[in-house]
Amino acid sequence: MVIERRWKKWVFFYIPLTLFIIGTLFPFYWMFITSIRPDAELYRSWRAVNNAPFWTLHPTLDHFQDLMAKTTFPTWLWNTFFIAVASTLISLFCGLLAGYALARLRFPLAGTLGTSIFVTYLVPPTLLFIPLADIIRNFQLGNTPWALILTYPTFLVPFCTWLLMGYFKTIPRELEECARIDGASRFGAMVRIIFPIAVPGILSAGIFAFTLSWNEFIYALVFLSSPERKTVPVGVVSELIRGDIYFWGQLMAGALLGSVPVALVYSFFVEYYVTGLTGSVKG
Amino acid sequence: MERRDFLKSAGIAGILAAGRAPAFAQGSRLHVLRWVDFIPACDVELKRQAPEASKALGAEVQFEFINANDLQPRITAAIQSRSGPDIIMMLHNWPHLYQSGLVDVTDLGEWQGKDQGGYYAQSEAAARDGKRWLALPHGIVGLQMAYRKSWFDEVGAISWPKTLEDLRQVGMKLKKKGKPIGQTLGHTFGDAPAWSYPLMWNYGAAEVDKSGKKVVLDTKEAVESLKFMQAFWKDACDEGGLAWDDTNNNRAFLAGDISCTLNGASIYIAAKRGQDKIKDDRGEPMVRDIQHGPIPNGPAGSWGYHVAFSHAVMKYSKNEKLAKDFLKWLHGKEQFGKWFEVAEGFSVGSTKQWEKHPLWDRIDPPMKGYRTAAAASRMIGYAGPPSAKATEVYSKYIIVDMYAKAVQGLKAEDAVKWAADELKKIYG
Amino acid sequence: MKNPIAGGAGGAAGVEVALPHPRTSRVQPRTRVLESERLLAALLLAPAVLLLGTFIAYPFVMGVWLSLSSTTVGTAGTFVGLKNFEKVWNDSIFREAFQNTAIYTGLATLFKLSLGMWLALLLNRHFRGKRLVRASMLLPFIVPTVLSTYAWRWMFDPTFSVLNWTLYKLGFIADKLPFLSDGVWGLGCAIVVNTWRGMPFFAITLLAGLQTINPDLHEAASLDGANAWERFWYVTWPLLKPVTLVVVVFSVIQTFSDFQLIYVLTGGGPANSTHLIATYAYQIGVATGLLGEGAAISLFMLPVLFIVVWLQLRYLRRLEGA
Repeated sequence: MVIERRWKKWVFFYIPLTLFIIGTLFPFYWMFITSIRPDAELYRSWRAVNNAPFWTLHPTLDHFQDLMAKTTFPTWLWNTFFIAVASTLISLFCGLLAGYALARLRFPLAGTLGTSIFVTYLVPPTLLFIPLADIIRNFQLGNTPWALILTYPTFLVPFCTWLLMGYFKTIPRELEECARIDGASRFGAMVRIIFPIAVPGILSAGIFAFTLSWNEFIYALVFLSSPERKTVPVGVVSELIRGDIYFWGQLMAGALLGSVPVALVYSFFVEYYVTGLTGSVKG
Repeated sequence: MERRDFLKSAGIAGILAAGRAPAFAQGSRLHVLRWVDFIPACDVELKRQAPEASKALGAEVQFEFINANDLQPRITAAIQSRSGPDIIMMLHNWPHLYQSGLVDVTDLGEWQGKDQGGYYAQSEAAARDGKRWLALPHGIVGLQMAYRKSWFDEVGAISWPKTLEDLRQVGMKLKKKGKPIGQTLGHTFGDAPAWSYPLMWNYGAAEVDKSGKKVVLDTKEAVESLKFMQAFWKDACDEGGLAWDDTNNNRAFLAGDISCTLNGASIYIAAKRGQDKIKDDRGEPMVRDIQHGPIPNGPAGSWGYHVAFSHAVMKYSKNEKLAKDFLKWLHGKEQFGKWFEVAEGFSVGSTKQWEKHPLWDRIDPPMKGYRTAAAASRMIGYAGPPSAKATEVYSKYIIVDMYAKAVQGLKAEDAVKWAADELKKIYG
Repeated sequence: MKNPIAGGAGGAAGVEVALPHPRTSRVQPRTRVLESERLLAALLLAPAVLLLGTFIAYPFVMGVWLSLSSTTVGTAGTFVGLKNFEKVWNDSIFREAFQNTAIYTGLATLFKLSLGMWLALLLNRHFRGKRLVRASMLLPFIVPTVLSTYAWRWMFDPTFSVLNWTLYKLGFIADKLPFLSDGVWGLGCAIVVNTWRGMPFFAITLLAGLQTINPDLHEAASLDGANAWERFWYVTWPLLKPVTLVVVVFSVIQTFSDFQLIYVLTGGGPANSTHLIATYAYQIGVATGLLGEGAAISLFMLPVLFIVVWLQLRYLRRLEGA
């Protein structure tokens, strides 16, 4: 019996999980090995006899050094971080208040407004792109981080609002009512009772928004122009891709380093992320 | 609500402060957007010249280099938002497409032509609309077929094939030995159109007639060129080429995976600069085994497509005068001459004078073919006059895709018909 | 591990708490105003509405106007009615892109859902290193798409592909596979990359859903003699349906209007066989400068998305109502 169970566990659990882990993480291994491999080894035809793509006997940090010395990578990293944090905060602020209002308050047009906030999520960015360029000109935001900090919320706010609305719905109304009987104002009850309970939801929305901002490419490509203002994805792509100068090493080094900050955020918050989503998806 | 009001107004003030400061301080700063050059030394040279230019003009000159495939979105966004770089580099005949956003530079155009021995037809077609210069021609990147001399010798091709058919025969032997010819038919800005358009022309086909309004693609000649391409692809080419961009063939060539490819001189130059690292199968520097030849003759002649580069002054720029002064400085014989030498033949001048430059006498023999290559070029949209319509066809990759569809198995006649229909929608 | 985070959260809450204090204590009449639900709602919604109004509603109206005009880059166009839509509808490349988008969205969502569900079920069990595995499973989702797609492109590279090398060495193939150089393969590769990237989001969200399911239900079911599959089908799945639908809705929206992945992987080639609506709209509107036509192409996405999402949400309401 026990033996059969162990066999079962291997087939239904360990093997599939291992395959998932390999499939998910192999590209990262590939990025890593590419980034520490000398150029001479990188550009060997796939059929070359001496090709051993999975490891290297001559690891080098050249690509990382080049990335740091020849480009403004640290600045890109900082720009991306700043923009992501600022747009996340703005989106959370908007989403938190709007989510609460839509989940808890009765007012005319509540349903319509909720739907339209959600529908804005459907509008394709390729449509908004040109008109947004106009707005950015009118506000004189071109080539400043604010061009992105203010446009990213267009896809972040709908999501945050929706997620937090779901979360607020799971919080029993009685909690608020008790507080109000104790003399708290509606606003006070919202801020002091409901928001703290909603922290996991806020965290998940925040993490999600942060990821999406970190990820964004097209707005960042066209709304920023000076090299020292670029974000990581745009900087890496526009300055490390050339004709014959082999930049795969640096490109992959940039991809790895560019992911580290987000990965750190996640490793701290992943459990909260799950809890936060749990709340929202229940609602 | 004071607190919120305060926050709000402070926020907006902050935003405006952050947004405006650089916009107003830009008065004496010139922002120039170019591609990341395939010859990195060229960008280094421009960066070296920047402080000199700043001194000569009394304004800070700042270069920005980006991936060539990302240039067009930047131009569109810049023109639409009326803000961005003061000068943007244009490829092909883009100036016609973006002309309403560009400053008339006729004075500069006339000056450069007179000053430097007259333009190639290609430079004029790219940047001039009737009498008006839309942008100032900078250079032409000549495209030749780079090939491995020893491998061609091995299969008995001692001299470069005269006709396309000969090339196919040679390629067939090479492919059998696992050393195919490499050619991109992907969606990429340079090598794909530079192969497809000449192939069409060399078989006697064209997009439109002289009026530039009547589509004349649907002909026997076009079908013949496609049939050639289908056979050439199957017999002689690396079939991975459909996925390549402008950089893949360079890497494949230098890795020794292909025997021949249409390209700018960048393969040769990269092999030369990296001779201690880039070796051939015998361990010799690969550069010694690289030769160049033009696209071979078709039944109707031997045309090439060489990519014209120009600098456009943007209409929204607040530094129009400064930008023009800068271009005059940068394109002048002295400064351009220095840059030209660094390019080592990758970019030839936009005018004929540069053919006489002493560089050509001391340059490696395989590079000599680039000297006059630019003269044998037609502009996209042939036989019509240069127009934004031709650019539209180019940007939609219709001619490239016609060939790509054919090599993927669509019947030659149907591929031509498809392309002709698409062209009619654009030119009609 | 819990404490510092809880502390941090408390701190964040503390900041929020500090806000209303002066009001409740000093300015009584103002807080009374806030007791009106309508007014409070208006105030709370103001920031979101203002932001979305400026940066979506207005550009959206402009975009619709563009689609009805002959605007090209740098020149203001005139009103041309539905001409752009007509042109787009008759455009063979657009039709191809539309079809690709449908296939891409459909298959990628299907794979993401089934693999994500499987992974969620695996991760819901207890095993050593669970936290680490959970966190690392999220990695594909958090790397900037552009960069991870370059890594994939590098793996698919026609000349240097490590996948070709592996398959070749293992003896599965004699010649290289045309990963990105064949239309069907190309779209397939794009679906694989999209699945790789999106699956973690499915897995984690479904995992969140799984954790809300009371384990007693499973126990009861197995006491009744249900096997693993039956337990999943009759207990887990019905309870998980609402969550699943929500994730699917979000994924469909994202996948249908996907741009970055194709832009990096193939640029729509070879011969348009991997163009999606978004990449084609970009090529026409932004690269070719036909802003009106580009806007019309983008707008074609909206009704389709709207219908798909509407159907899903309606189904979701029915589920929740039941």
